[in-house]
Amino acid sequence: MNEETAWVIQAQQGSDEAFTKLVETYQTPVYNLCFRMLGEPELAEDAAQETFLRAYQHLHRYDPKRSFATWLLSIAAHYCIDRLRRRKFSMFSMDAEDDEGNTFELPDPDSPDPEAEMVQGQTRDRIQSMLKDLDDTDRAAIIMRYWYDYSEAEIAESLRLTVSAVKSRLHRARKELAGLWQEEETRTENERRPYESPAF
Amino acid sequence: MNHQPFEEWLLNDKNLTSTEKRELDLHLRTCTHCTALSATGLALRSANVTVPAAGFSMRFQQRLAAQKIAERRRKLWGMVVLVLGGIGLLGWFATPIIYTFLASPAEWITVVIGYFLFIVTSLQAMTEVASVLLRIAPDFIPPYMWMVLVSALAGFGLLWIISIWRFSRTPQGVSA
Repeated sequence: MNEETAWVIQAQQGSDEAFTKLVETYQTPVYNLCFRMLGEPELAEDAAQETFLRAYQHLHRYDPKRSFATWLLSIAAHYCIDRLRRRKFSMFSMDAEDDEGNTFELPDPDSPDPEAEMVQGQTRDRIQSMLKDLDDTDRAAIIMRYWYDYSEAEIAESLRLTVSAVKSRLHRARKELAGLWQEEETRTENERRPYESPAF
Repeated sequence: MNHQPFEEWLLNDKNLTSTEKRELDLHLRTCTHCTALSATGLALRSANVTVPAAGFSMRFQQRLAAQKIAERRRKLWGMVVLVLGGIGLLGWFATPIIYTFLASPAEWITVVIGYFLFIVTSLQAMTEVASVLLRIAPDFIPPYMWMVLVSALAGFGLLWIISIWRFSRTPQGVSA
């Protein structure tokens, strides 16, 4: 029996200390999933806390034959999907805002290559802002696939879908993201053009 | 433009051979759609994991404690409402009886004793009928019928015990 299974069994028997260890182990994956789903740190914190609370309350229903991480992330994904269905959020979450209300991330001046860091940061934000345009379940599938390396079968189990449905959702989401990426490229290209020197 | 099989490779994150890689590179030079697919795939794979603010588990413990208190309070209030409701309902039904009793206690006591005697004599009569039936019935009921009856009773008993066990089982933690 591994350490995690022991904690789960102890928590099922009522040990709060064992459950706290599970919280400490899974806080980052659960928080990250919630953040990628909801796009706001405050909402993500609240959703992650709620996920652990639900897991605590329904721990007696957990089947030890399943992976605990999959079970936990499944709770988080369903909670976020429900929340998004109830209300649509603005998913932009950046560190700063300019005068026109456009958001951008400030580069870390202490990083070895601030320019590369900024480009990387912009790509990350671009992905985050594009995720919000996806269907809620498609977004959950994409996050599980690319952030957690989940197989199609694991995603299907977590989101209560068939494997073929997961596959088609992933393909659809990827194509949608590519479309959005292309639009963004074209827009950036058009914005850049007026400032280019006529000599070129 | 024909995107096959490049689109499939990109969508399925296929591990490519060096020849396939070369073919894909050539296709990406001319196809903006597949370039965008490739770029988003790369961006998704290099996306970072966001971590929660420090003290997450501490905040969870506080929230859990608050939840337990709220749950206990809810249960207490539920109990109070239930008890008060029961007392109110009992009072509602008992008021006419109390009034009758206070108006003429002797008559009321006579009626109560009459009812009591009626119940006692009825019970005696039913016991006698049951004992007569029990004496006669075994001769009429075949042995296999007894087995069926006993099995059915045992089954109902088991069902009753399981139902009580399932309904009385509380979710882990909350009521602790």
